[in-house]
Amino acid sequence: MSVIKQHGIYAIAVILLSALMTHSPLAAPAREQPAVVAPFYTKAEYPPPKVGSYKLPPFGVAADGRVIDADGKEGRLHDFFGHGKIILLSFIYSTCSDVNGCPLATAVMYDIQRKIKNDPVLRDRLQMLSLSFDPVYDTPEVLSLYGGGYADAGNWRFLTTASWKELEPILDSYNQPVIRDVDEQGRELSTFSHILRVFLIDPEKRIRNIYSVSFLYPELIINDAKTILQDSVPKYERYSPNELIKVSELSRPGDYKGGYETSGYVTQSQSVAERTGEKADLSHYLVRPPLGLPAIPQPEDNPVTHAKVELGRKLFFDRRLSLNDTFSCAMCHIPEQGFTNHELAIAVGLEGRSGRRNSPTIYNTGYLSRLFHDGREESLEQQVWGPLLAVNEMANPSVGAVIGKIRKIPDYAGMFEAAFNGRGVSMETLGMAIASYERLLVSGNSPFDRWHYGGETNILSESAKRGYALFTGKAGCVSCHQIGTEAALFTDDAMHNTGVGYRESMGIKPEKEKILVAPGVYLEVDREIIDAVGHPPPADVGLYEVTQNPHDRWKYHTPSLRNIALTAPYMHNGSLSTLREVVDFYNEGGIENELLDVRIKPLGLSEGEREDLVAFLESLTGDNVDTIIADAFAAPIGDITEADPNWANQKASHE
Amino acid sequence: MQKQHKGTFSRILMAASLAATTLFTAMPARTVADETCQSPYMAKIVGQEDFVYVWTLGVDGLGDGQDKLVTVDVNPKSMNYGKVINSLSVGGRNEAHHSGFTDDRRYLWAGGLDTNKLFIFDVHTDPAKPQLHKVVTDFVAKSGGVVGPHTTYALPGRMMITGLSNNQDHGGRTALVEYTNEGEYVATHWIPTDQNLQGAKKGGNFADGYGYDIRALPRRNVMVTSSFTGWSNYMMDFGKMLQDKEAMKRFGNTVVVWDLHTRKPKKVLDVPGAPLEVRCAWESENNWCLTTTALTSKIWMIYEDETGEWQAKEIADVGDPSKVPLPVDISLLADDSGLWVNTFMDGTSRFFDLSDPHNPKQTYEKKIAAQVNMVSESWDGKRAYYTSSLLANWDKKGQDNEQYFKAYHWDGKQLTEQFSIDFVKEKLGRAHQMRFGAYSLYANNRSTEKGQSAVAAK
Repeated sequence: MSVIKQHGIYAIAVILLSALMTHSPLAAPAREQPAVVAPFYTKAEYPPPKVGSYKLPPFGVAADGRVIDADGKEGRLHDFFGHGKIILLSFIYSTCSDVNGCPLATAVMYDIQRKIKNDPVLRDRLQMLSLSFDPVYDTPEVLSLYGGGYADAGNWRFLTTASWKELEPILDSYNQPVIRDVDEQGRELSTFSHILRVFLIDPEKRIRNIYSVSFLYPELIINDAKTILQDSVPKYERYSPNELIKVSELSRPGDYKGGYETSGYVTQSQSVAERTGEKADLSHYLVRPPLGLPAIPQPEDNPVTHAKVELGRKLFFDRRLSLNDTFSCAMCHIPEQGFTNHELAIAVGLEGRSGRRNSPTIYNTGYLSRLFHDGREESLEQQVWGPLLAVNEMANPSVGAVIGKIRKIPDYAGMFEAAFNGRGVSMETLGMAIASYERLLVSGNSPFDRWHYGGETNILSESAKRGYALFTGKAGCVSCHQIGTEAALFTDDAMHNTGVGYRESMGIKPEKEKILVAPGVYLEVDREIIDAVGHPPPADVGLYEVTQNPHDRWKYHTPSLRNIALTAPYMHNGSLSTLREVVDFYNEGGIENELLDVRIKPLGLSEGEREDLVAFLESLTGDNVDTIIADAFAAPIGDITEADPNWANQKASHE
Repeated sequence: MQKQHKGTFSRILMAASLAATTLFTAMPARTVADETCQSPYMAKIVGQEDFVYVWTLGVDGLGDGQDKLVTVDVNPKSMNYGKVINSLSVGGRNEAHHSGFTDDRRYLWAGGLDTNKLFIFDVHTDPAKPQLHKVVTDFVAKSGGVVGPHTTYALPGRMMITGLSNNQDHGGRTALVEYTNEGEYVATHWIPTDQNLQGAKKGGNFADGYGYDIRALPRRNVMVTSSFTGWSNYMMDFGKMLQDKEAMKRFGNTVVVWDLHTRKPKKVLDVPGAPLEVRCAWESENNWCLTTTALTSKIWMIYEDETGEWQAKEIADVGDPSKVPLPVDISLLADDSGLWVNTFMDGTSRFFDLSDPHNPKQTYEKKIAAQVNMVSESWDGKRAYYTSSLLANWDKKGQDNEQYFKAYHWDGKQLTEQFSIDFVKEKLGRAHQMRFGAYSLYANNRSTEKGQSAVAAK
């Protein structure tokens, strides 16, 4: 009893379980209490290490499954993880009588709940979940009774499952075997034998710690949670359950906005000054393309060379290539944002002029024969000049103006001549140089490729495998996002009407727009307020603008799905923020209009099937993304220096 | 000529500050006029201001379409009272925005948020006719990637310039950049991010690394910076942005308190909804600064608590936040007793009584025009000047896009218009930041300067 005096929580745990016992229909005989109780009940043996002074590397993905909450609402376990939250997950059952088992987990979580009540960091960022492993006795009603007292704070949910069939795969994936206890006659009791395991899971659903009885301390868990929130471990790393596959450390925006729609949003901003990289030789992909991709096509008159790639890369990041020195290609095709722009649905150009469409990614564009969303260009060499001369992009007044300016910039002296056998900068050589760099931005050898083309059977999660079956079967995605026998570009390189463009042109805007004004804070703003400060959006009729054929209205190019997890927001107008929204869009059959592609129709996919499709899409991220981005970071960003001629302020400089 | 000037620079500076000190101590009863929102290190105008310099955005198709520094005569005793007496075009549309004098008040620094140029005007040689002295064109390269030079704030012998964006993603992460008064780059101080808090304490959930305005409270050895948004947002069509779900996630939610002496960030405070202008109290017992959040329409106080810890709290709503009134410029009275808050969307100037600074109460409002942005008041609080433009692509469209400079008198009860200049009719552009000029500032050199002007005019 001296133990109780040392720690009141022990008393709480005992009271808690004795109270619950009275509700048990088939109460197990009281267990013999262990001689040694968990350290939690007495005193932590060591002070927890300082937040951020250590690392908790991820070691596996937290599995999903179908669950039911204490209100009887059905959903996926991941749905209860929330956005941007750290998850503390325990497995319990309400009739558990082992003081070092479920009651310990519950008591520790209760103590954490009290401790973080006023903690500005964890209060809204730590979500605790207790999942029952007794689907028979732990009905939502029982759980509601068990967890009722803790649920008020909103950061602790009690979950159960509909049946053993639903529960078993979850327990398997968390490596949490349970055995139902039997009495001497072999009759089943209401108790289970199990090892206590409590999981700490990060916002990317990766397991970062597993606690057992010996170190299940509130203080330690709190510091671990804070350390994870603080650490700069990449947010886009993905691991398969069987092997740690590093996908990308660098492909994350410097200004992470995951979960901004909620009041629990926490910044994970990167330092601008510390964005540095290392040059890479990407030309070996010419000899051997990444698994899953065909040979990189090279035009006869523009074979890729080191000198051209080097020059093209420098040009790609040079902001002086715009009328007023503020725009390079990379301002809209940002390397760490999937060579697109996460921060804008629709691009913005020189002087803030409105674009009409979302910036497409540069990854794997070397394989395409139709470029731009409306497919109006046919080669990278030619495409380059589109943005350079578009008045709402880089806004150069003429080809000559660009060529003339580059001739005056001292750091390009001799570079074109060296790359093009003595030919200087011209309309042709500039296009060739930038196209040569872009051509090498190929990305494959994704988990999908290693599974599908490489025969690594365990590389893909079961969910992604089911997603593949849907992608190529029931959902029919593959009919446009094609997969070949030797390689997959995930595009038919053709033009289709999905109704997104039709809706933009013909849809009626609601009278009030729901606008996010701060993390988790929305306002319903009157249309007239928005209209007072905005110009009407420019027209966009898709391929029709190129062909003038009315049958081509609102047709846009099928994008590749490779690296799709890195290139949000989606669709030609950036109107969908997440892959899940995209899957939902197609599941509903697109937007009805007379020219809607016949392949687009309602799919009737279940919730789980849609999640599986998302898991499949997430498996399409190439393994060389880091190399490509590091190489991009190593390129100098071209801004005006003292060495440049002062072209816009000649008079002032002579005064 | 230039070299000679540099050689005597420190002596002139010292003389100027000595003169200013003398004027203050010797004539405490005399009316002192100046806008109240500038650096405490800066020389003050004695008496009535003669000029207001308006940093004006060029509009394509209006006049020469270029950004310009427009000089308005505001001395009622002048023959030219209420008239534009000079207009100096600088070339290009640079997204002219804010400007500020060097501590000696001889030069006016004005930034271009788009092209990242710093235009340095000589306002002492002839205060009625500023001249373009120097253009800094390599601000981005020198600073290590800072985009959008915004506030140009006088520190002794130096200018502290806040950035709004960066050259990597045109987002909101940015820095403070320090220059000498002569226009030489000194240092870049990045706003703390999670990856590198630089020793600052993260007071809440956010360390976004965004920037906007800066003010110093020297007696507490602090600088306070606020946070707006990156290039992509401040340059784009306002209506388009409001409907862009991704863009709306890219606004600042922080105020950073810095150690003024070491230039090290001390604490990052959560102030959600884009806190813009910062005004620090003048009275010696008031250890606080105020800011307003543009999107959430609130007045926030940044204050030092009893334990010496810096905190932030919201202290009042501005108008009806659900109508997005969009508080923009604010002006704190010289005795900290009241605060002017302009709301852009309804074109209204609002007066908040600060008898209890923790609990401001709106006691007066007046509609200035269809839209209003900046307000500058005289040190005695008797004159207030207004301009119209917020940002080139955020201003209202169509008929409501009124562009003006307006002068008012304030008697403590109401604003009375004295005169108004239509910047569209005058083919000038979008009127933005106002700074005051006066002959009296340069009294010691006045005869010489006049002589030089005369020579130059020939």
